[in-house]
Amino acid sequence: MSQSSSDADQRFIAAALPSFISEAIEQTEAVEALLLELEEQPDNRELLDSLFRCAHTVKGSAGIFGLSKVVDFAHHVETLLDQMRDGALTMGPELSTLLLECNDEIKFLVASASDEAADTPEQQERRADLVTRLCAHTEGSNATAASAASVANTVAAPAAGQVTRWTISARFGPETFRNGMDPLSIARFLGGLGQVLSMHCSTEAVPSLASMDPETCHMSFGMELESACMRADVEGAFSFVAEDCELNVVAPETPGQKLARKIEEMPATPRLGDMLLSVGAVTQDRLAEALNTQRKSPGPPVSIKPKLGDLLATQAGVAPEAVEAALGKQQKLRDSAAGEEGRYIRVQADRLDVVIDLLGELVIAAAGATLQARATQQSALLETNLRMSRLIEEIRNGTLGLRMVPVGETFSRFRRVVRDTASSLGKTVNFEIVGGDAELDKSVVEKIADPLMHLVRNSLDHGLEPPQERLAAGKAAAGKLVLSAQHETGAILIRIEDDGRGINRERVLQRAWNRGLVEQGVVPSDEAINMLIFEPGFSTAEQVTNLSGRGVGMDVVRRNIEALRGNIRLSSQAGKGLQVDIRLPLTLAIIDGFLVGVGISKFVLPLESVVEVIKGGGQCVKVDAAGRHCLELRGNVLPVVRLRTLYAIESSNPEQDSVVVVNSPRGKYGIEVEVLLGQQQTVIKPLGRLFRSLRGISGSSILGSGEVALILDVGSLGELTVVGPAGRKSSARAAVPGEREAAPTLS
Amino acid sequence: MSTAFELPEELTIYSAVETRDALLARVGEHSAKSGQLEVSAREVKQVDGAGLQLLVALGNMDVSWRLIDVSNTFTEACQVMGLSDWLINHQLKTSAGGRST
Repeated sequence: MSQSSSDADQRFIAAALPSFISEAIEQTEAVEALLLELEEQPDNRELLDSLFRCAHTVKGSAGIFGLSKVVDFAHHVETLLDQMRDGALTMGPELSTLLLECNDEIKFLVASASDEAADTPEQQERRADLVTRLCAHTEGSNATAASAASVANTVAAPAAGQVTRWTISARFGPETFRNGMDPLSIARFLGGLGQVLSMHCSTEAVPSLASMDPETCHMSFGMELESACMRADVEGAFSFVAEDCELNVVAPETPGQKLARKIEEMPATPRLGDMLLSVGAVTQDRLAEALNTQRKSPGPPVSIKPKLGDLLATQAGVAPEAVEAALGKQQKLRDSAAGEEGRYIRVQADRLDVVIDLLGELVIAAAGATLQARATQQSALLETNLRMSRLIEEIRNGTLGLRMVPVGETFSRFRRVVRDTASSLGKTVNFEIVGGDAELDKSVVEKIADPLMHLVRNSLDHGLEPPQERLAAGKAAAGKLVLSAQHETGAILIRIEDDGRGINRERVLQRAWNRGLVEQGVVPSDEAINMLIFEPGFSTAEQVTNLSGRGVGMDVVRRNIEALRGNIRLSSQAGKGLQVDIRLPLTLAIIDGFLVGVGISKFVLPLESVVEVIKGGGQCVKVDAAGRHCLELRGNVLPVVRLRTLYAIESSNPEQDSVVVVNSPRGKYGIEVEVLLGQQQTVIKPLGRLFRSLRGISGSSILGSGEVALILDVGSLGELTVVGPAGRKSSARAAVPGEREAAPTLS
Repeated sequence: MSTAFELPEELTIYSAVETRDALLARVGEHSAKSGQLEVSAREVKQVDGAGLQLLVALGNMDVSWRLIDVSNTFTEACQVMGLSDWLINHQLKTSAGGRST
């Protein structure tokens, strides 16, 4: 029996371990963020308390899973934090570095919980070293505290000095007596620690003698104790009952804090009597009378006792409206309290992915149904179909919203990186995060973290100058690095901005010439020179420092961002700083598209990039001397991409061509197409490997009719407008393996 | 008037069930007659949280009762537990007991 139940326990623990690990990792991330915040505001009590709670949660749940290494180590950290809470230690750079390292260690221990081999001797040594350093801190402060305590013990009435006024409240669990514990002895012990200023035993919580099990504990008390002892001593008095005792030990407080705490401690749902009393609807005496009647009425079951509200209305003469309003308010508060509790549920990411995949299929199927409905020309069917489409759109938006997470969580991870990197480089940096609450698809957030990290490090390493150099250049000694996020139509713009030295275009160009990335003597535009740092093979040994040791070059950064259908732009001012703009689509799954056709091929444009449509505008398209197509639009010259030429699509009547004007990061341009097919929800399917490097196309989609449409990437297609046909030809060759036949003609 | 209910020497968890039953029996008899139930803590030499809780529970019953004669041990225990006011209330009490709101 015991064997099988312990087996069951083991199975349960094994099943719950992954979710423990993911939660504990989240906790350590929270700890890191809190530590960094605390470093800036060392006196913030609230931060310290949350920090302690996080650390304690990790330790507690690790205990349940029998991860003794985590528990042992976290215990030392907790001791240190406890002393910080008591004011025996204050946060400083040294302490914060130590705690950050300890947090890393806890994270490591948690992550390798199921892998004994991961804990190498080096790791153990490192841990022992951390423990020694932790103990050095705690013992140092303990010595002072202990001496203060011993002084207090010898002198009967504690002299002025480290005497604190503790407010202790304890509610003992029902098993306390049966476990051989006694609140009375605990109270007596606490009395021995110092002077009891007040002691109150709450008698209300004890039931009536007739209905009580005399061996079940219902005791709870509140005590104010003036003593020189440490928090640990006070809490130590409860150590044997700690498991089922609600204990709250509060350090001395100012009158303001005291009031705030009392308000905090008010019951979430105020009592009916209190509410009516506070507005003056009933007097204290009348209320007491009504309560008395209620209590005296016969019958133990609560349900048949007269309701207080009724009694107040009939006996005490309170206006029934007032009672009703108070009851309503009470119910509302109760409801909202219940709502608060269930605010978050944890869902496995792959379950959500399944739903999103199905949703994609649903969107395609719905497009098919709409097509069929249109063919029947039955207005009732069309109407039903329209309503269904609208609902599907709402479901789509709602479901995709589930995957959205604030980008700030990823950003705050960089605080640590910036802090550590800057100090290792001997630079001082003010790191700012702006717009961390902008939301982005979770999968995008995960994939963007590494490239962003690289760019941030790059700015720190190459962008920001050392303090002396900055002072010499007339800048503040501390560099500035701003990481910001904001929404733009259908996309998110992430910007990394520093006030460093910027890109040295001459040196970049020189290096590009040397490496054959640009033909000797050719000078591209400033922007093009900036972008050269993203070319494969540009990074040089001279440039690579220990910071770029991850084997990720800037070219990989760009590739990763482009793989997310995003794009990257640099604007640099020599000597003033560099600004890196990364634009990313909000979601990877479904977009609102604008369907166009050329010949028998169909293309989808992201709807948010479409500015206007010029029907029949194809006739006005001119070809300039360099072979570039352009169009005069309200007095401006608009470059035009001719899809027919670009992808070598055969089509019969170019005369009817329309031009779709789109907005791209480089500005507006036109796309010449043959047929306009209208708005369409588009489920994005990745392109096959063969087409992945194709310029101007970001994905494919299946239409309601079962046809395949290619999704145009407005950003990279726009770049093709800048180069003439000659340049275009070579770049298309470079991108598409093989010759022209490889281009998707879809025939 | 009947004699006071005598609390045992050991008013602790070990005798809690017994004491409760005896007290309840006495309360049952008593409510038939009029007058106030008297409880004496004169003999109490040992008391613990469970013992005090019994009396607090009696106080939360709809019964008129009061404490007469309390031993020093009992008084001290009430004081430590923060029940001094409660004790005084129940020593002085002449009318129906019960909690105030």
